[in-house]
Amino acid sequence: MESVTQERPATPAPVRSEPVPDSNPAPTPNTGGRMEWFTHWSIERRVLAGFGLVFAGIVVISAISYRNTAVLIENSRLDTKSHELVQLLGSVGEALGAAESGHRRYLVTGDESYLTSYRTVVEQMPEYLRYLRSLTNERAEQQARVATLEQLIASQLAAEAGAIAQREKHGYEGVRHLALAGAAKNEIEGIHRLMTELDTAEQRALYDRVAQSAGSTKNTIALLGLGAFLQLVLLASVYFLIHHDVAERRRVATELQSRGELLQAANKELEAFSYSVSHDLRAPLRHIDGYAALLSKAAGEALNDKARRYLQTISDSAKQMGQLIDDLLVFSRMGRQDMLRTTINLDQLVKTVLHDLRLDLQGRTISWTIHPLPNVSGDPAMLRQVFVNLISNALKFTATRPETKIEIGAVRRNSGEAEVFVRDNGVGFDMQYVNKLFGVFQRLHRNDEFEGTGIGLANVRRIIHRHGGRTWAEGAVDQGATFYFSLPLARSLK
Amino acid sequence: MTTVKPILLAEDNPRDAELALAAMEEQHIADKVVVCHDGAEVLDYLYCRGIFASRQQGNPVVVFLDLKMPKIDGLEVLKTIKNDVNLKPIPVVMLTSSREERDLAQSYALGANAYVVKPVEFQQFIAAVKELGVFWGVINEPPPEGSDPIE
Repeated sequence: MESVTQERPATPAPVRSEPVPDSNPAPTPNTGGRMEWFTHWSIERRVLAGFGLVFAGIVVISAISYRNTAVLIENSRLDTKSHELVQLLGSVGEALGAAESGHRRYLVTGDESYLTSYRTVVEQMPEYLRYLRSLTNERAEQQARVATLEQLIASQLAAEAGAIAQREKHGYEGVRHLALAGAAKNEIEGIHRLMTELDTAEQRALYDRVAQSAGSTKNTIALLGLGAFLQLVLLASVYFLIHHDVAERRRVATELQSRGELLQAANKELEAFSYSVSHDLRAPLRHIDGYAALLSKAAGEALNDKARRYLQTISDSAKQMGQLIDDLLVFSRMGRQDMLRTTINLDQLVKTVLHDLRLDLQGRTISWTIHPLPNVSGDPAMLRQVFVNLISNALKFTATRPETKIEIGAVRRNSGEAEVFVRDNGVGFDMQYVNKLFGVFQRLHRNDEFEGTGIGLANVRRIIHRHGGRTWAEGAVDQGATFYFSLPLARSLK
Repeated sequence: MTTVKPILLAEDNPRDAELALAAMEEQHIADKVVVCHDGAEVLDYLYCRGIFASRQQGNPVVVFLDLKMPKIDGLEVLKTIKNDVNLKPIPVVMLTSSREERDLAQSYALGANAYVVKPVEFQQFIAAVKELGVFWGVINEPPPEGSDPIE
């Protein structure tokens, strides 16, 4: 439905009632000022910001948790290594002890079976040492100890090997003093000391790591808790924002609907009003004219010329008012009437209009120039009215010319719009009154110059506006006039 | 034709009625005209009741019906006429000030035989009423009285 006043407001009336912050976007010292930029944001931006924050929170917390977990895994790997090292140290100590006591028994007894342990140790020691090195490869201080340990072990084994060789050559007597104290007394002490150092250092590292892991686990749990809380807060605020906006939209929709209903009611009232005008206002006019005619007939010859002229004036005025009412009703209907939307061949339309106007053209010398016109989309009856009005005007205001020239054409300004013009060589108009041309009942000529009520161009403008187009005119006194209107070619219409 | 069948003019406005009668006077058919002043009176006439209880039987040759009338408006009267088997054949001419499309459409939808907008100009009004009176009251052959309508 279309309102009767076709002039749409430039901007919709503000319907948002929420407090709009000051137009000055500079941060104000009050507490509300900080959120000012936020309330200016669209719902999409707010939601995006909310989800961005949630995402960033998740990323940060995940990163920290990942790092903490990695530390835990690393610590547990190192712990395993430490435990293995402690165990290995025990085995190495045991094996060395067994080898030492075995070689002394051999030195005393010369029984070769006591050398089994010693030989096993000699055989396995490189393997043990490689393992030892791999278990300490991440800690420089332990590595240094292992290197010293290696030397001591090597010299112990070498001393023992020397003692065994001597026993073989010289018998028990050659090694008696060695058999009691052992071949590598000094080295064994050093080895024991070093192994204890290694063990203690490893135990201390283990203890430190356990403490670190416990702290990091606690930290992670706290962080995850904080993260969950943060995410809940953010989700809640995003929910609040969405909810707020949805509520606002719903409110606006309700208001629009109620305004629409009001508008519809107003339109109905207007319709009833114009109906009433159509029916009731015309009746008294009919009576005035009718009774004036009856009076003139009844009084007949008794009336003098003056009285007859008065009666005629009464009649004429009534008729004129009747015409004005009719014109106003047509104008009002143009604004309310439902519009058809079809493709219109303007060439054909102009042809039929000229055919319909042929009676007005009789006895006139008219030179027509009609250029090809485009196809437009619109209401055929309404656009026909536009051409009837413009061409009738052109004919009317050229009546005083010996030869009438009327030109109709179109200019395609851009892809979506056509500009159509009707040009004549008539009396024209003063450009300073151009704004009055399209007004309702606005006339630039006296009635005794050119008759008419001044509704034609108002109707043209209303129809063209309803099609989403514009109207304008150019002219000069005594140099003709050109009336333009634009129409959308294929775009959807208002 | 021995009996002159009347023309029924339904017009609430006495001035319009007088002007219409003045127009018909010129055609010498004014004496055939019966004027009703509202819709209820029209129906009373058609059904021979109320103040028309004792009138001569028979349908009018034509009904000129104003749209806007007190009590029962023109469209309602039209509906009643066109829904009654006996009244249906009577030609009904809407004679009104309204040019509204809605009124036109409704009138024809309800079975009006013609729709005439009263011109403001008296000469045109006279011409219209004259022509209507002559066409429907004289030229047009009314439906046979009492014939069984083909249902």
